[in-house]
Amino acid sequence: MERRMDRGMDEGGSGTNLDALFAEYHNAFSDIDGGANFMPNLWQKIEARRMESVSVFRRLAQVCVLATAALTVAMAILIPRIQTEPVYTATYVDVLDAAHSVDSAQLMDSGDLQ
Amino acid sequence: MLVEFELIERARGGDDSAFSQVVQAYRKRILGTIARLIGRPEDVEDVGQEVFLRLYYSLEQLRTAEVFEPWLYRLTVNAAYDYLRRQKRRQESRMSDLSEQQVMMADAAAGGKQNAEEQRRGKVREQVEALLEHVSEEDRILLTLKEVEGLSLKELEKIYRVNENALKVRLFRARQRVLKAYGATEGKDTA
Repeated sequence: MERRMDRGMDEGGSGTNLDALFAEYHNAFSDIDGGANFMPNLWQKIEARRMESVSVFRRLAQVCVLATAALTVAMAILIPRIQTEPVYTATYVDVLDAAHSVDSAQLMDSGDLQ
Repeated sequence: MLVEFELIERARGGDDSAFSQVVQAYRKRILGTIARLIGRPEDVEDVGQEVFLRLYYSLEQLRTAEVFEPWLYRLTVNAAYDYLRRQKRRQESRMSDLSEQQVMMADAAAGGKQNAEEQRRGKVREQVEALLEHVSEEDRILLTLKEVEGLSLKELEKIYRVNENALKVRLFRARQRVLKAYGATEGKDTA
């Protein structure tokens, strides 16, 4: 406060008058306490904000579920169409049979009965 | 501190009754500060509720209870700043719709309902409002916190997280502008 008064003197009379005006301005807003509904209104706003954020999350969750379902259906339709050519042309048993017949032929060659 | 650290810790932990007690303790101080920052008593309650609403949803981000007051002031400054910016936009569009005569008639009608003390206070508010229009919204808030609220530079440093010298320079410039405008009005009054 003392410093403020010194500064006011440095700035001349205007500085002091301005400080006095600021002090009056401070007092012009004294005793503001909000109405009786201040707290109820505040809690109402807090609740409204909470509900808003909950509904945003709910909407987000709904969007995620819908997107997942749509993707599953799309995959179920598209994958069989993309895979027109089967990867394996023969069954496991066919392959095993072919390999076994080669082995038998070799055995026959090595064991010449003549 | 107007409340115990323990109460703030409880409010931070989600205790609504502790939060209510914190609001009750700081309500008068914060509403008074908001009133001086925005200069409009009729909108103080709304801005005050916005401050405490922001406090409620940001309290868990508070590192320690020791920094609660600067934290609360920062929220107050931000809410006041948002209000002033909104108000400026609204005022520009509203004033363009009204003729000068209509504005003067509305002012006179509002003034007639007030008593003498309220009129004197209203005049002081108007005068300071007019002076603070010579600086930006940011500087207006900073200057009001220092000159009207009487916060120290150390306190402002904690609120703004800016070093003291930068604040001093900014405050000096803002005060010089306001002082110049004040000198001009004084000159007009004496002439």
